Amino acid sequence: MDPSRRLVLKAASLGVAALSGARALAFGEAGAFNPRLLTGGARQPLAGRETGASRWSWELVRRTSAPARLVVSRVAADRPDLCAEPFAIWAGSTDAGTLSASELRGLSRFFALGGLLVVDDSDPENGVFGRSARRELARVLPESPPVRLDPSHVLFKTYYIIDRPVGRALGSGSVEAIVRGKAAQAIFLDIDLLGALARGGDSWAFDVAGGYAHREQAARLAVNIAMYVLCSDYKDDQVHAPWLMRRRAGLRR
Amino acid sequence: MASRWALAEDLSATAIVAVGIVLGVWAVLLALELRARRARSIAVVLSGALALVALVLAFMRPARVRAEVSSVGARVVVLVDRSRRLLLPDDGSTREARARAAARSVRERFSNARVTVLGFGDGEPTPLSLDRPGPPPGDDSDLVAALAALSRAPGERPGAVVVVSDGRLTRPGPDEDEAELRRVLGDLGIPVHTVGVTEDSPPDAAIRRVHTAGAAVAHQPLALRLEIACTGGLSCGDVPVQVRELRQGEAPAVLADGVAELDGSERATLELPITLDRAGGRVVEIALTAPKGDRIPENDRRILTFNVARQRLRLLHVAGRPTYDVRSLRRWLKSDESVDLVAFFILRTDEDNPLTTDDSELALIPFPVDELFTEHLPSFDAVILQDIDAVAYRLAQHLPALERYVRAGGGVIMVGGPSAFAGGGYARSPLERVLPVRIGETDRPYDLGEFVPRYTEVGRVAPALLPLRELVSEDLPRMVGSNTLGPAREDAIVLWEHPERRAGSAPMPVLALGDAGDGRAIALAVDGTHELAFSEFAERTAGRAYGALWDGLLGWLMRDPRYEAARVQLVGSCIAGEATRLRVTRLPGTQGELELTVEPLGPEGTPRIERRAAMPASGSVEVDIGALPPGGYSAHARVGKAPATRFDFACERGGAAWGDPRPDSARLERIARLSGGRFVRPNRVDALPLPPPTEVATLREVVPVLPPWAWALFAAAALGWHWIERRRSGLA
Repeated sequence: MDPSRRLVLKAASLGVAALSGARALAFGEAGAFNPRLLTGGARQPLAGRETGASRWSWELVRRTSAPARLVVSRVAADRPDLCAEPFAIWAGSTDAGTLSASELRGLSRFFALGGLLVVDDSDPENGVFGRSARRELARVLPESPPVRLDPSHVLFKTYYIIDRPVGRALGSGSVEAIVRGKAAQAIFLDIDLLGALARGGDSWAFDVAGGYAHREQAARLAVNIAMYVLCSDYKDDQVHAPWLMRRRAGLRR
Repeated sequence: MASRWALAEDLSATAIVAVGIVLGVWAVLLALELRARRARSIAVVLSGALALVALVLAFMRPARVRAEVSSVGARVVVLVDRSRRLLLPDDGSTREARARAAARSVRERFSNARVTVLGFGDGEPTPLSLDRPGPPPGDDSDLVAALAALSRAPGERPGAVVVVSDGRLTRPGPDEDEAELRRVLGDLGIPVHTVGVTEDSPPDAAIRRVHTAGAAVAHQPLALRLEIACTGGLSCGDVPVQVRELRQGEAPAVLADGVAELDGSERATLELPITLDRAGGRVVEIALTAPKGDRIPENDRRILTFNVARQRLRLLHVAGRPTYDVRSLRRWLKSDESVDLVAFFILRTDEDNPLTTDDSELALIPFPVDELFTEHLPSFDAVILQDIDAVAYRLAQHLPALERYVRAGGGVIMVGGPSAFAGGGYARSPLERVLPVRIGETDRPYDLGEFVPRYTEVGRVAPALLPLRELVSEDLPRMVGSNTLGPAREDAIVLWEHPERRAGSAPMPVLALGDAGDGRAIALAVDGTHELAFSEFAERTAGRAYGALWDGLLGWLMRDPRYEAARVQLVGSCIAGEATRLRVTRLPGTQGELELTVEPLGPEGTPRIERRAAMPASGSVEVDIGALPPGGYSAHARVGKAPATRFDFACERGGAAWGDPRPDSARLERIARLSGGRFVRPNRVDALPLPPPTEVATLREVVPVLPPWAWALFAAAALGWHWIERRRSGLA
């Protein structure tokens, strides 16, 4: 492991700054992936899924060269520090409630700067949170309705080649997103991704329908989302296209 | 005293014609009327004729003009060819010396005339002294423009024009249509005599002309069409030709080789495709190897400046690991439609465990470091190295090539991070030699102290940071550490510095720019500029400050004139051996004294010219840099503390004017013949015919025969008599 990454991990594992909310980062860490948990509207019981965000970073660090912060923080939609970094996760299982005017403004600024929000429905079986989150985000970005991402979208090949999204639940098998310009800015998951990654002590916090294989698929999706945040459509570049087309064809045979 | 009749001077030709028509119609009608009525009264005819004459006289009002006239010598204009071509050697002298001698002979020959000597070249002819050296000659000898200017000139028209030249005129050309030539000469309406100053066609091999098919565009082949000639009895077989690009700080780069096959012919055309990879002014030398006996070696090579345009900016972006800093830079580069971006990010290292052994499950490709930094490197306009470890990713072995790439005109930006500069193994590497800062081995490659970069005095006036300053003034976001850099190189410019850390005796550079050979390099010792794109700070400008910073940095790297502190251009053209002047225009925001250095393009160690001048508050200043030998040159102009602006230019001995040294007496003979003039050799100037003298009236007296009222009375009386006679004869 190279010294810089060791440094990042060390700094992140201490986590003192993150817990206190202050931004006391080290060189090389300011640009590290940080899956912040968004709060806004009605308070959402996450039932231990907070650790899923931390595990998300951990999986990214051990599988890729990307630095990430292991101790994650919460960020409120109406706080200026929402715009401190370009990524956040909005997770929940009940109705998201109604976003206040200041929360709408905060999210609007976040998207205007190019931020990316993952909406993770922790209870996809009834889908209340997913629907209400869509409703509220439609108030923030009324001109951009969610669309289903094509299986060839770069999100499915930023690091792993993924055929379908999998989390704690199997969900609909597709991903919807609000796409502005060429970038997906709000990604809607109906698979409880944080649930698949969450830890409870030394074991997993929740069972996953497909067992180890599906949990691994969930981790891969999480890594891909992180890479999409960090590299955007890098894997759509012309130099990568022939390689990836051949590999995807081979995987499907 | 001479005397003659004249009509009233206030009559125009139109009035005379109109009155003539009216009176003529009247006479015809009268005759028809008399014939029809058979009333043939002599009195009617006589009175009618008298009335007609009286009316004509009343209208014309004849007068007697008496004048005293004296004769003066005719005005003769001598047009002496001022093309640089006349500086060609000619039998121990030069054609120019022979032309001046011939012009003096013409002046003596027309000693009774009023002789004006003018030099003609490009545009209107200008007065020329035959006894003092004239202004620097030009490339052209445009006789058509000179004759047109004479025909347009107000005042007395010359009685004759004498052209003194070797005949190899730019216009009229050798294939000028006879009718067109006659028209040009006919406009002047006077004889044009010609004096051919030489018949000597020296044995010579030359690059007669250089044509290019279209404009020069970076990375795209450009066809050079060369006309190689061998004249004056010189025997040429195969003539080797080479095209090279002259570069600063290194040996010329060969762009193309070829052979002109001249066996038995005077002229051959050779087409050589060349590709110039760098945009801006590029100096190209085209040289032939002449056979023995070539008397004019100066036209064996041409040194030309090509203004190479750039259609798209081709960038290589290499990052050692994906971070928000990488994200911001990539997003900004991808948002620019004029950028062709080739990106490689290290997403996985040997220590990372993707939990699969099946590569087909991964969307990863090997980092093609060898291919990128050998085969494809010259095709990029700039390379961005962002936080990448040179040793771990086998980049170190390609750093010598990267150094050569920059010296040959490429651009490089090193963006900070734990694996940049000393942390990435770049200390004491070949790449360090072209970076604007020293790196040096250190056990502390980066510092963890938070700080806000501070603008230097230069940074405050640098056009590259102007767009950023316009948005956020001098505010900058807080950085969470910095790479450890040594002091800036001698010619480098530091725009941001660390408020606390030191590099030697000066504050440590954080953002520095510098020229290296033909290329440019930027060192940025932080990894937090993404805070300008996405942060609470960025919100102030909706993230536009990030684009403003990188637009300026990349623009400066690519020599975009918008980000240069001054504009430099040649005054006229640069001719070897003649005084050369450069005009430097200061751009708004910069102030201070001008420091100008000019050095030959080529390996380092060549002497350079240094000048200092006060810059006016606005406008430009011209600086004399003296006479230069033939070659390519690079001028660096620095106004005050602002970054230097570079301007490359070529200096030739004879240039295009010496491409064809053959005299063309046939053309001079033709001009003389078509205008009614005469063609002579300098020793036969006496044979030129003298134009008739010009008569000048010194006294003129106009005496009317009768006053106007008397003519009117006479006409009225005649008309009245005619009317009475008509009534008597029964006519109405």
